[in-house]
Amino acid sequence: MYSCLDLSGHVVLFELGQLYPGITMEFGKTRGRVTPQELNPSSGPKPKRVPKMVGRRKKEKVKRKKNKANIEELKKEVVMDDHKLTLEELSRRYSVDLTKGLRPEKAQEILDRDGPNTLTPPPTTPEWVKFCKQLFGGFSILLWTGAILCFVAYGIQTYFNEEPTKDNLYLGIVLAVVVFITGCFSYYQEAKSSKIMESFKSMVPQQALVIRGGEKMQINVQNVVVGDLVEVKGGDRIPADIRLISAQGCKVDNSSLTGESEPQSRFPHFTHENLLETRNICFFSTNCVEGTARGIVIATGDSTVMGRIASLTSGLAVGQTPIATEIKHFIHIITMVAVFLGVSFFGLSLMLGYSWLKAVIFLIGIIVANVPEGLLVTVTVCLTLTAKRMAKKNCLVKNLEAVETLGSTSIICSDKTGTLTQNRMTVAHLWFDKTTYEADTSEEQTVNTFAKDSDTWFILARIAGLCNRADFKPDQETLPIAKRATTGDASESALLKFIEQSYSSVKEMREKSPKVAEIPFNSTNKYQISIHLREDSSQTHVLLMKGAPERILAFCSSYLLNGQEYSMDEEMKEAFQNAYLELGGLGERVLGFCFLNLPNTFSKGFKFNTDEVNFPMENFCFVGLISMIDPPRPAVPEAVCKCRSAGIKVIMVTGDHPITAKAIAKGVGIISEGTETAEDTTAQLKVHVRQIDSRDVKAIVVHGSDLKDMSSAQLDEILRNYTEIVFARTSPQQKLIIVEGCQRQGNVVAATGDGVNDSPALKKADIGIAMGITGSDVSKQAADMILLDDNFASIVTGVEEGRLIFDNLKKSIAYTLTSNIPEITPFLLFIILGIPLPLGTITILCIDLGTDMVPAISLAYESAESDIMKRAPRDPKNDKLVNYRLIGMAYGQIGMIQALAGFFTYFVILAENGFKPADLLGIRHDWENSYVNDLEDSYGQQWTFEQRKILEFTCQTGFFVSIVIVQWADLIICKTRRNSVFQQGMKNKILIFGILEETFLAAFLCYTPGMDMALRMYPLKIFWWLCAIPYSILIFIYDEVRKFAIRNHPGGWLERETYY
Amino acid sequence: DKKSFNQCMAEWKLFLYNPTTREFLGRTTKSWGLILLFYLVFYGFLAALFSFTMWAMLQTLNDEVPKYRDQIPSPGLMVFPKPVTALDYSFRVSDPESYRGYVDDLTKFLKSYDLEEQKNLTACPDGALREQKGPTYTACQFPVVSLKGCSGVEDPEFGYSTGNPCILVKMNRIIGLKPQGKPRINCISKGEKTATLSTYPSNGTIDLKYFPYYGKKLHVRYLQPLVAVQVAFNTTSTGKEVTVECKIDGSPNLKT
Repeated sequence: MYSCLDLSGHVVLFELGQLYPGITMEFGKTRGRVTPQELNPSSGPKPKRVPKMVGRRKKEKVKRKKNKANIEELKKEVVMDDHKLTLEELSRRYSVDLTKGLRPEKAQEILDRDGPNTLTPPPTTPEWVKFCKQLFGGFSILLWTGAILCFVAYGIQTYFNEEPTKDNLYLGIVLAVVVFITGCFSYYQEAKSSKIMESFKSMVPQQALVIRGGEKMQINVQNVVVGDLVEVKGGDRIPADIRLISAQGCKVDNSSLTGESEPQSRFPHFTHENLLETRNICFFSTNCVEGTARGIVIATGDSTVMGRIASLTSGLAVGQTPIATEIKHFIHIITMVAVFLGVSFFGLSLMLGYSWLKAVIFLIGIIVANVPEGLLVTVTVCLTLTAKRMAKKNCLVKNLEAVETLGSTSIICSDKTGTLTQNRMTVAHLWFDKTTYEADTSEEQTVNTFAKDSDTWFILARIAGLCNRADFKPDQETLPIAKRATTGDASESALLKFIEQSYSSVKEMREKSPKVAEIPFNSTNKYQISIHLREDSSQTHVLLMKGAPERILAFCSSYLLNGQEYSMDEEMKEAFQNAYLELGGLGERVLGFCFLNLPNTFSKGFKFNTDEVNFPMENFCFVGLISMIDPPRPAVPEAVCKCRSAGIKVIMVTGDHPITAKAIAKGVGIISEGTETAEDTTAQLKVHVRQIDSRDVKAIVVHGSDLKDMSSAQLDEILRNYTEIVFARTSPQQKLIIVEGCQRQGNVVAATGDGVNDSPALKKADIGIAMGITGSDVSKQAADMILLDDNFASIVTGVEEGRLIFDNLKKSIAYTLTSNIPEITPFLLFIILGIPLPLGTITILCIDLGTDMVPAISLAYESAESDIMKRAPRDPKNDKLVNYRLIGMAYGQIGMIQALAGFFTYFVILAENGFKPADLLGIRHDWENSYVNDLEDSYGQQWTFEQRKILEFTCQTGFFVSIVIVQWADLIICKTRRNSVFQQGMKNKILIFGILEETFLAAFLCYTPGMDMALRMYPLKIFWWLCAIPYSILIFIYDEVRKFAIRNHPGGWLERETYY
Repeated sequence: DKKSFNQCMAEWKLFLYNPTTREFLGRTTKSWGLILLFYLVFYGFLAALFSFTMWAMLQTLNDEVPKYRDQIPSPGLMVFPKPVTALDYSFRVSDPESYRGYVDDLTKFLKSYDLEEQKNLTACPDGALREQKGPTYTACQFPVVSLKGCSGVEDPEFGYSTGNPCILVKMNRIIGLKPQGKPRINCISKGEKTATLSTYPSNGTIDLKYFPYYGKKLHVRYLQPLVAVQVAFNTTSTGKEVTVECKIDGSPNLKT
């Protein structure tokens, strides 16, 4: 009973928002800094510096007020136009020479003005403050209060020389020690997971190559300034946000920012309105994988895109975890019960004629006795065990409380790429001989289900294999084909693997028909041509071509049907169109294939010129189409279905195109079969979108650009009204907005993500889930949980574990609280009836921190009673961890039976030693008087003080043992809340171990020599162990009957009043 | 969201009594009735069960002898007058009020040793254990005169008025206890020899005829033997304070 559940113990990450309240929020003001420069490009250093400094100071003063507004600003899109500028404009804006760079003195001046190019670490709370927060936060306060009350009571007792017992002193010390240890544990936990900003720091590259005053120089990255001309090459980290002015084959890996791992090419041309999409900007702390590039720094440090996200992430205030809220509620209940009991017995003891002093000590004693000391440890251990179990199932939980949060989740905002899909382009469909064939897209790709005997297939396969620049990386022969790493882009790799798997070795094919010329794919042509020697050694060449289907068709004058060439006709064109639309509509990337056998004039040795084409480029023969998709992971549809039956809404949030997003959503069941979006319905009914009653439509695909213009009310409406939602083409900030929208509806939101861009959403979500394989470090830091296999299905197993632990925590708490009653009632009866104290402080501590511990923890291993994935998520408002029904059961019913068992043993021991129950009433005064050495028992024998104290401690040992014995039954009934134990079985081995352990521990405490001195426990006669057994049986029978009634009268009175 | 004080109060009021749902403390009358009935029946049943088990347990007890006596293997000693807050007695000879309490206590205690009271008791032979087979058990007389000056017969003030106070020492009753050897209560004054002690009966002997004791029920009117200690302060000594220690001697199976 005296226990300490430190609630703050497991709260680790959620405080971060409050820890860094004063984070610098000027990042949204990039333009503000650039503008004065623009207006006065020639102004000297002094006039610029002075106003700037003043401005900064002012800003710091109003920072706190502005904090919220700035967060809102950070959520908005980055507005920058540097990528749209011509090089001249760029040069003018940053007053920099595009060949010589900044003058060194100018650079120094800017550095002085802007500060170093590093991410500002948030103002850190001193370690001791964090430690104190753990020590004195939440439930710890209650325990400290208990400890202080104990010391006060001890002080009063010694001062007035009342009953010279040191129990209160010991109890106070034990309470303080328990709180202190838990505080240390919590602090350690927090220290482990609050390293969020450190990874940002470590991302800053060390050296950068800048050109200043026409000279190349290596400088520390923190000295790079806006306007610097920098050069990057393959392998470098980008030192700041850079607008490119020239590039040679430059490719960057933006995965640390966006999560997309495919390298993107970079060149100086402006290609997209959106800063994040345009190809002429390189971002701070991403990697250059190949080529070289030169550019002008447009933002440094916290003003960079990365810096803005970092500030946004650390500036977000995150709410309490559901379990923290639950535990708070639990504390309220316990405090109320304790104060109620304490005050009423305070009044009662005054009425019984005790002195004020005694009454105050009783009051303190009763309040402190209500504190369950062991519960904190129990809850922490239960959560830790579940976290470990989840880690085995690929869900690594960083923050203990998140274990349960996942169980309460009602909405999952999931990424598409990599989480729902395999993140691997795979051939999905083929179309040849006017027929669509399905390819196997499963992860193993073992079955092939199409007509392989058609001659058209042979030709198609050869084009796909030969007109292909991808190749397997060496030394992977042992791996299955689908798992091998390749060079080349995603589509070509997909084709390569597909051909290798379903046709023959591509390597052999390429050896037999060596490539003699090639026009690589580019975005203007949208096709790729390669010319090969023919395999039949006729010394002639064949031209193979693949590309965008409509482009390919334009080159063709004939087509292949079952290996025979026919001339192109309208019927074929229509069939082609239909197939193209059909495959495109599935969200697949479609490629067309054609070929031309070159005439003998182009025999071996002919010099093909790909720049000035000297070979025919018309009248090709069309072969077929192959479409590819990043297919859903195999376990995902089932997992989504499980989520649905578990009442969890799955929302897809992706940067991908709406059509692809919708196709995958349909593929995995986020948009379920038979459900249509407004667009589908309109297409079918041929009516306008507005004419459809939006209430009939359950599914919707929201485009990011639409989302940008929506008010939060409109977003709320969408989230409320549609059950199946897909957000496509969204930006990182929008993900955060979506998460917040869901939270506004009162949902517990889980969000997945892998890029740095996702980290604000991950932080804001009730539980952020980062990807273990593809995820960036920052996203892992911001998340509460890491999916080790990146698989959505693992989230579902996590949800299952989370729900299970909530149920099991209830059971565990019910078990622990029950023994509170047999621990408090002895003290109450000691006061009211004046009997010798039946249970002392030390024995109570032995129960709470000793025998009850392992059994309570073993309930965490209990298996679910029914399919927990078939019920709706917990309603955080009504389904509480501890409710009055649980208290009623534990305190009012089972606890009372337990108390009777204890008292029975107590009376048996006293009666058999000479003190009959009737003679005990009111004996307290003489019993406790150490000068009365001839206290007479019911048989006329006389007892000295020492003798009867030993008898009293023997009784207390008996009471203790009785509690252990009735706790057997309590443990067994707590296994289930509705089912019979006979349905549930006794498969929980830890629980059986727990029963044995508590029994042996009780026997050990009882019989070990020296325990009389150490813990004042005395050996019992075997018979006294048995006294509690009838009550143990009664508990079991009573609860089985109760549960039987609950099962047979669902919703009946008994269920409403006693089902917790 | 901090609620205002008024809101809080309003919520409390609504919780105390909600007129729309007619709920009192969150429950309707019927709901309260049912839950109270449930607990009434439940606790009634528990009380009955507890009473039954207690009754059954009491049936197994012997009325005459407790089941176990191993918690009190040897008797303790008790002194009279009854100590109140500490084991010390202080008084002024010149002030009778200061020792009236002690004298009254002793008088009251010795009431059961009155000759009148002892009239029906047996005069037993000295020096041997007096084992009885029943069915009736008789108690031996304790000649209170053997306490000499502390008997209250000669000096109703028990020596307090003369500055030579008496303290009675008795050995606790334990059923079936048979002392071996020749038990006696040995009192010595500790520290400076400020006083001399006289013990009555002489040597503090406890006669074996008072043992064994057969319990309150069988051994009615049993009187346990007493030993008196009288303190005589040395006229020469300046201090009038003495520490006295008494223990049982001469019997190997009695330890204090």
